[in-house]
Amino acid sequence: MTSLRTEGLTKSFGGVLAVDGASVELQEGRINGLIGPNGSGKTTFFNIVTGMIKPDSGRVLYRDRDITRHSPHRIAHAGIGRTFQLCRVFPRLTVLENMLVAVRRTRLRELLAGLRDQGEVERARHWLRRMGIEHLEDAEARDLSYGQQKLLELAAVLMAEPELVLLDEPAGGVNPALIDRIVSLVRDLNAEGRTFLVVEHNMDMVMGMCDHVIVFDRGAPIAAGPPAEVRDDPRVLEAYLGV
Amino acid sequence: MVSLLLQGLALGVLTGGLYALLASGLSLYFGVMRVVMVAHPAFLFLAAYLTYTVHTTFGVDPFLALPVTVPLFFALGVAVQRLLVARLAPDNLAMMSVLLTFGIALAIEGLLGTIYTGSYKSVSMEYATKSLTIGGVHLPYDKIIAFFVAALTLAVLFAVLVRSRFGQALRATIQHREAARLVGVQTERVAGYGFGVGLATAAVGGTVLALITPFFPASHWVWIGKLMAIIVVGGLGSVIGAALAAVLLGVVEGLVLVTVDATWATMMFYVFLFLTLLARPQGFFGGRLAHRF
Amino acid sequence: MRIASRGIPLLVACLALAYPWLVPNYYLVYAGALTVMYAAMSTSWNLLGGFTGYVSLGHSAFFGLGAYGTGLLIVRLGVPWVAALLVSAVAVTAFAVFVGVAAVRVRGASFVIVSIALVSMMNLVVQGWRSLTGGSTGLQVPSPFPDLHRGQTHIVFFYLFLALLGLALLSWWYVSRSRFGAGLRAIREDEDKAESLGVPTGAYKVTAFALSALFVSLAGGLYAVWFGSLDPIFVFSILIGSYMVLMSLLGGVRHLFGPLLGALIVAPAGEYFLIALGETQIHLTATGLLLVLVVLFMPDGILARLTRRRAGPSIPDETAEQRLQGAAR
Repeated sequence: MTSLRTEGLTKSFGGVLAVDGASVELQEGRINGLIGPNGSGKTTFFNIVTGMIKPDSGRVLYRDRDITRHSPHRIAHAGIGRTFQLCRVFPRLTVLENMLVAVRRTRLRELLAGLRDQGEVERARHWLRRMGIEHLEDAEARDLSYGQQKLLELAAVLMAEPELVLLDEPAGGVNPALIDRIVSLVRDLNAEGRTFLVVEHNMDMVMGMCDHVIVFDRGAPIAAGPPAEVRDDPRVLEAYLGV
Repeated sequence: MVSLLLQGLALGVLTGGLYALLASGLSLYFGVMRVVMVAHPAFLFLAAYLTYTVHTTFGVDPFLALPVTVPLFFALGVAVQRLLVARLAPDNLAMMSVLLTFGIALAIEGLLGTIYTGSYKSVSMEYATKSLTIGGVHLPYDKIIAFFVAALTLAVLFAVLVRSRFGQALRATIQHREAARLVGVQTERVAGYGFGVGLATAAVGGTVLALITPFFPASHWVWIGKLMAIIVVGGLGSVIGAALAAVLLGVVEGLVLVTVDATWATMMFYVFLFLTLLARPQGFFGGRLAHRF
Repeated sequence: MRIASRGIPLLVACLALAYPWLVPNYYLVYAGALTVMYAAMSTSWNLLGGFTGYVSLGHSAFFGLGAYGTGLLIVRLGVPWVAALLVSAVAVTAFAVFVGVAAVRVRGASFVIVSIALVSMMNLVVQGWRSLTGGSTGLQVPSPFPDLHRGQTHIVFFYLFLALLGLALLSWWYVSRSRFGAGLRAIREDEDKAESLGVPTGAYKVTAFALSALFVSLAGGLYAVWFGSLDPIFVFSILIGSYMVLMSLLGGVRHLFGPLLGALIVAPAGEYFLIALGETQIHLTATGLLLVLVVLFMPDGILARLTRRRAGPSIPDETAEQRLQGAAR
């Protein structure tokens, strides 16, 4: 079953064409990688899919529903979650408070009347334990190390119970031990039924973890397929090395 | 009816020019320092009161006060920026600067009210009370003078911004502070001078205002509303956008003034403000810095 | 600190309840009622400002609308004062929703500007619409307690404002412990990130905006029947709005009792200046300078200084071996 499909997405900023007719199709249940040289439009692509930017033309379909013009919070409710290239947490809220921000559905009772109920707190603690940062529950997010913040960011996203998770450079600025931990987390979460789309520059990580890889260059996909195929594709080499 | 509309149009264009001068100063502060200078209209009226004092004490033409007030206000602007604004933490700069300048505006209003009392003051000159009549349309001399002074000052301002080295440095600081620093622009100093230029335009604007309308200490609040409406419609951070929006709103005000009444004429600013917010929050005439601040 | 944080509010509450009987004259009761009114309004303002970080300089618009709404309902339509108060508050809150939808489409300083424009607009409308508002003579609202003399009325309204303050504090406390409050705080920290986590930021902001307008409009309505004489220049004055901001900032916007503390400092000081310096405008300058000083040197407020967390690492000290063992888990 198709999870995410985009048709001809285009977006320019002033004179710069960031995304140029990007058509992409992702199957559910897979770990997909998105690679490409710097400036090839990967993060802009993410921003369009998650509703933070509206495309100039093209469509985004999630499970066959057109979500192109939806606001970011509606897209989150539809089941798409995302982390950011430069890890974003809520700096002056505690780790636990960070976890309790995510909203799964816009039901009045749940939102306005809800005190911090124990069920939610337990769910939050469960994720913090899985990430290994449960002992930092009361610390302010800005006091955490960068690696811990990345884990917190991912945990908070998972609180919203997304089916499709977009990870923007999860290994960026992180030590090798933590990278391994992230890879095994992604594999476990995927085995539990979640689809992933991971933007990464760390080739070992991508090739080792992903079932399917898409290569972007100058705003559009130029190759897609299993990792081994993509790695040997001459067009990919040309894009990266400019040869 | 047509001549009435032409009258409104003409008046609107003339006042629009003045609005353009006043609003461009505001856009300048924001562009340079990301500061929303709510106190700008308060300084306008400070200048108006100073002009009044000069006029009543020495009996001279108010425009002769300019060689004194312009440098004074320039220095004041530099001082405000270096001593106050620069001390704000960059954390929440836009909002803290509003609160800071709001406090300054209150302080100025209090001083003016204490020194001059709350009664209306104005400056009237013999030559300014007459009107020029062209084809049935009456153009008051004071508004014509206001327009030309505003246009001249704006021209000088643009020339400085575009042609001079200082203007170049200023525009570089507006566009990208870090990059400007990297090429050797002393951004702190430039920011201070930018502020000084902004307040210098307030000195000119204040003198003109003194001539065309009676004023009292709390007058600046009405102008804050109007000027803010102009720069929101025009697009924050765009000096040209502010000028265009100023003329547009001036014309609308003029037309409504002659066809309905003064209250509705002023209301139009707020109507346009809210419509802009609903339809296109980042403004209509450009301004890439808008909305996200 | 625990004992202090529980004991002090309790002590203050007791003092507040006994206040009218502790002071020697009715003027001080009046001053006390005024202070409590400002405390209620500032706490209400802080429902928006403290949680979302959206600073409104125009909340006096809601004060004035609440005052005139209540006054007009009583005078023109003969509505009993309690009903007038409530109907007016509901109407003003509905208006706040309408305005809020437009206003929250911009952020940060733009929003402040829009709030200023709002109150400027109210000023304009009220001064232009003389037939409705009574023009420069203002609107006269009959007292709901005609049998009581001035001083006794002050006592009654002291308690009424105290009840309003209690409601406002309760609301603030409730919001701060709720998912709604967590969402609002997230909006202040990183609005786009909050939205990407599913928080309906637009709806949340409008709700906070409307809620903050509610208690302010109730204060306006109470003011109308207490003072009995409404002057459009005063009730829509931007000064009232700036007091709300100043008091909240001074006391601390992130704390329940911050605005109250700010009101306890600024309101009596304001009254004192008014008496000592007469009817000049110098109190504007004093307010302005105080605001400048607070913004420059104490933007987090007094309570933030007092309750600052102990600095130090919250990350436990461990050796490299321990660290690696943890990672291997």
